[in-house]
Order: sequence, then C-alpha cells, then structure tokens
Amino acid sequence: MTQVSRRRSTLQTLLLSAGFFVLVAVSVASVLLVNKAREDNALVVHTVEVESQVASLLVDIRRAESATRAYLLTSAPQYLSEYRSAAAALPAALGHLQMMTVDNPAQVANAAKLRAAVEQRLAEFALSIERVNNNDTATSVDVLRKSTSTDALEAIARIGRDMRTEEDRLLAARTATADRTQVLASSVTIAGSCMVLALAAISLVLLRQSSRARDDAEAKLRDSNVNLETIVDERTADLREANEEIQRFAYIVSHDLRSPLVNIMGFTSELEELRGDIFRRIATLNRTASLAPAMEDATDAAEPELEGSDKQLSDEFNESLGFIKSSIAKMDRLISAILNLTREGRREFKPERIDLRELIDGIVKTVAHQAAEANATVEIGALPDIVSDRLALEQIFSNLIDNALKYLKSGVPGAIAIEGRTKLGFAIFEVTDNGRGIDPKDHQRIFDLFRRAGTQDKPGQGIGLAHVRALVRRLGGTMSVASELHNGSTFTITLPIKWSGKNAGRNRDKES
Amino acid sequence: MSDPVTIIMIEDDEGHARLIERNIRRSGVNNEIIPFTNGTEAVTYLFGKDGSAVERKGQALLILLDLNLPDMTGIDILKRVKENKHLKATPVVVLTTTDDSQEIKRCYELGCNVYITKPVNYESFANAIRQLGLFFSVIQVPPASL
Repeated sequence: MTQVSRRRSTLQTLLLSAGFFVLVAVSVASVLLVNKAREDNALVVHTVEVESQVASLLVDIRRAESATRAYLLTSAPQYLSEYRSAAAALPAALGHLQMMTVDNPAQVANAAKLRAAVEQRLAEFALSIERVNNNDTATSVDVLRKSTSTDALEAIARIGRDMRTEEDRLLAARTATADRTQVLASSVTIAGSCMVLALAAISLVLLRQSSRARDDAEAKLRDSNVNLETIVDERTADLREANEEIQRFAYIVSHDLRSPLVNIMGFTSELEELRGDIFRRIATLNRTASLAPAMEDATDAAEPELEGSDKQLSDEFNESLGFIKSSIAKMDRLISAILNLTREGRREFKPERIDLRELIDGIVKTVAHQAAEANATVEIGALPDIVSDRLALEQIFSNLIDNALKYLKSGVPGAIAIEGRTKLGFAIFEVTDNGRGIDPKDHQRIFDLFRRAGTQDKPGQGIGLAHVRALVRRLGGTMSVASELHNGSTFTITLPIKWSGKNAGRNRDKES
Repeated sequence: MSDPVTIIMIEDDEGHARLIERNIRRSGVNNEIIPFTNGTEAVTYLFGKDGSAVERKGQALLILLDLNLPDMTGIDILKRVKENKHLKATPVVVLTTTDDSQEIKRCYELGCNVYITKPVNYESFANAIRQLGLFFSVIQVPPASL
C-alpha cells in the first residue's frame, strides 16, 4: 500500500519535472529558432538588396553610356549633364556594392573586377566626351568603338550576370534555409506542446488514481477507527466487568472468612475461660491433697498457686492461646483491610473544584497532636487548586502526612513540607520529610498491599500506600517516591488539573 | 422481659448460634430461644404453610436475624416480616458480620429495630450480646396479632 503510493508520488514528481523540462526545452529551442529565422530572413533580404544594387549599377552604366553616345551624336549639353550625374553616382554605387558583398569572397572578387571594368569604361566615356568637347568627334567615336571598349562592356555585363547568378544561388539557398528553420521551429513547438499535453494527461490520470486510492484509504481508516472504538469499548467493558468481579470476589471472600473467624475467636475465648477454671481446680485439688490443714487458707486465696509441672503446663496453655488470639486479631485486620479497599474501589468519585490549601490545612490540623508529640513541624507551600474527588484527595494526603509523621528519625525534629506546582495540565504535589527514608530496593515494595519496609517498630498493615496509589490511579494520576535510607523521603503525586471522572468506574452495582 | 416472649434466632453458623445463646443466658435472659440454621425453615415457622403468619398471631416474638443465610438473604426475611400485618410490630435485631454502611442503612430503612455487627474480638462480641440480653430484659414486645 505505502510502497505503491510512494511509487506513484515519485512517478508524479518525475512527470512534473519532465513536463517542466520539456517546456523549458521548447521555449529555448523556439527562441533560438526564431532568432535563426530572423537571421535567415535578413540574409535573404540582403541577397535581394545586393541583386537590386547590381541591377541599378548596370542601369547606371547603361545610362552613362547612352548619355555619352547621345552627346557624341548631338553634343547637346543636357546629355552631358546626364552623363555626369550617372558617372558621379557610379563610384558610390560601386563602393556600396563592395561593402554589401564583403561577406562573400567570390562576390568580393567579382565586385573588384566589376569596379575595374566600370572604371575603365568610365575612363573611355570621359575620353570620348573630352574629344567631343575638343571637336574631335571622329576619334571620340573610335574610342567608343574600339575593341577594348566592347570588351569592357561585355566584361561588365558578364560580371553583372555572374554576380546576379551568385546572388540567385545564395537567395535560393538562404530561402531554403529560412524555410527549414521555420518548419523546424513550428515542428519543435508542436512536438513540445504535444509532449506537455501528454504529460499533463498522464499526470491527471495518476492524480485521479491516487485521489481514488486516498479516498479508499480514508474510508478504510474510518471503518477501522469505528471498529477500533468498538473494540476498545468492548475491552473496557470486559475489563470493568472483570474488575467488578474481582472486587465482588474479594468482598465476598473476605466477608465469608470473617464468619468462621468469629467462631474461632469466640470459642478460643471460651477455652480461655475454661482454662482458668480447670487450672484453678487443679491448684485447689493439689493443695487439698498435700496440705489438708491449710484447706481453709486455700479457699480464701483469690488465686491458688500452681507448682512445678502444673505451672509449666498452664504457661504453655497460655502461650498457645496467646498465639492463636494474636493470629486471629491479625487475620481480622487483614480481612478488614481488604473489605475497606474493595469498598473504596466501589465508591463513585465525584469531580469538584478543590482548594488544596484548605484541604491540607484541615488534615494538618487533625494531626497537630501527633505532630507535637513527634516534635515535628508541617509546612504547607503554594498549592494549585484542582478538580478532583475530595474524599480521595483527603485520603491520599492524610495517608502521606501520617506516614511522614510516623516514620521520623528518632532524636531529630521532624520537618515535613507539602508543595505543589502545575505543569502541562497536571498538578504535581510533593510531600517531603526528613525521616528515616526508604532503601531504594524497597521503593516498589512499599506500594504493594500488606508489604512494608524498614524497621517494623510501628503499628500498621501495609495498606496505606497501596491504597493511596490505587486512588491516585483512579484519579488519572501517577505517584512515585524518591528516598534514601536515613535521608528522608519525597513522595511525588501527579494528578490532572481538571479530572472529568471519565475513567472512573461507571454503573457500579447498586447494592454494595 | 415478660415470660411468653420467644426469641427466634435465625443464624446459619451453629458456632455463632451457640456463642450468642451462651452470652444471652449469661446476661440472665431465660426466655425460650428457637434456633433456625436456614432461611426456609425460619420462614416456614414464622409465616406458616400458607405464608400468612396467622399461626403466630398473638405470640410475642423477637427475631434475631443473620443476613448471610445459605438459602436466602436475611434482608428478604426482614422485608417479609415488616410487610406482614401480624408480624410487622415484632422487633427484629439484625446480628451479622457485615459492617457495610450501605447494608446497615438498608436494613434500618426496611424496619430493622437494632443492627449489630458481630465483632471478631470476643470481648466485644460477648459484651454486645450481653447488652442485647439486657435490652431484651427491658424491652416491651407487643403481641404479634394486632
């Protein structure tokens, strides 16, 4: 799926680049070709100009010749002036022609020859006219009739023809080139356009394909989202059910364990009473047997003394009963603890706005006596207000403060501090003491039910912290401890500032 | 306690029953105690075969009730007693291991007269029963037939 889409997007990028490249190439080629066409056209025009120049030059020569001849015949001054104007224009026209044909070596040679022929012819004209002016018309005609003069005339005509032929050839070649260039330009443009159009079409197809693929993927995603939500809901319901079942189980088990315990305790106590009666009777009997005269003393004595093996027997009896009773008491405490925990787990939490400062002030007041006895001070720092369950928070903090007061270092005045701050939607509370501290290897253990750490010199069941952590978790928070043996402890609790109660167990069974 | 009052003890645990009886006797109460170890028998005794409790009409009874019975919950019995016109005036003392506040509240709402949690500590247990015995000796139980 991803590979296909990646390949498609690569292809699209390639197509786009190709299209762009083709466009650039076509543009550059067009510009180049248009320039070339312009140059070709200029060359064609130039050729035509050269041809017309040659033609006008020949015409001028003819004009000069005919004017000369007319002057020879008529000696009319108007022909003389015509001759002069034609002869005067000729050198300039020749120069022009030479300048124009400077790019073509063949024409340069032709132009040079033409200039020589024209100059010779002009010189002949000039000579004839001079003769006419000196009234030597006959020689003047001779001059013009001389074979050299016809040679020059022919040469001029021939060279003019050569030049025109050459220019015609050039014209044909250049026109062909210009045509080719134009054809090339238009075919390049057309081909480029076609390519761009083709690329655009392919792009469009690909785009449609990928958009369809995306739509499909989106639909699938929506489906799987819905599916996922259903699965999550189902699992949550399962978990909740399992959790409730565990709690019901714990409740029933602990509850039912209590019943036999009442009997054990009751009849143990009955046995204890019986023991008293039995040993009193044994003592009385012993005394009666050994000391008949002292019998009256014995009845007077409140508690007859036992002796020797009887006393030992009585002590052993007492010891056994003592163990039984203390074990029963312990079992009862454990069962009560489980019952309380399950009861807490079933309680519905109600989120409300809580002034933490006020709440902790209240807790500190209730432990003021304990604090005074332990020679400890409790300091309350700045505390953020949060939305949470009041009772749960009370239990959390009173447990922590209780613990801090309970496990102080003997001989050192206790200092307990409670501080809070907020960070990223969470309120972080720290309860710090300078007490006996907790060995890092016990940091996990202290949060387990019925587990304790360190010197066991204080009463307790190992429930407090397990309970606190369960509460913190239900409130959507976390808790941790930082501590070293003999160096005090810091318990850190992170709770959401605005707890909505969404993750609390819902629809708990009504009868609890 | 006027002599005709009979104590109906509905308690499935025979040990508990024995301890309760012993301690009631120790407090000087000598009334007849009829023990039942399950709900069905107790119900049959209290309400008779037809369930109307006519047979108990005119008797002064006091019911000691455990909530956790093998065949039914004591709450059902309490409810039936308090709904029956012949028995509704009979004092019911709930004596059970449950110390859940919801349960206690429910029992009082249903008309239980005294609710006592059986403490595991025998001193407290014996004490509670003896005090209950004292209570029995001063309590005026109405005949059930009004």
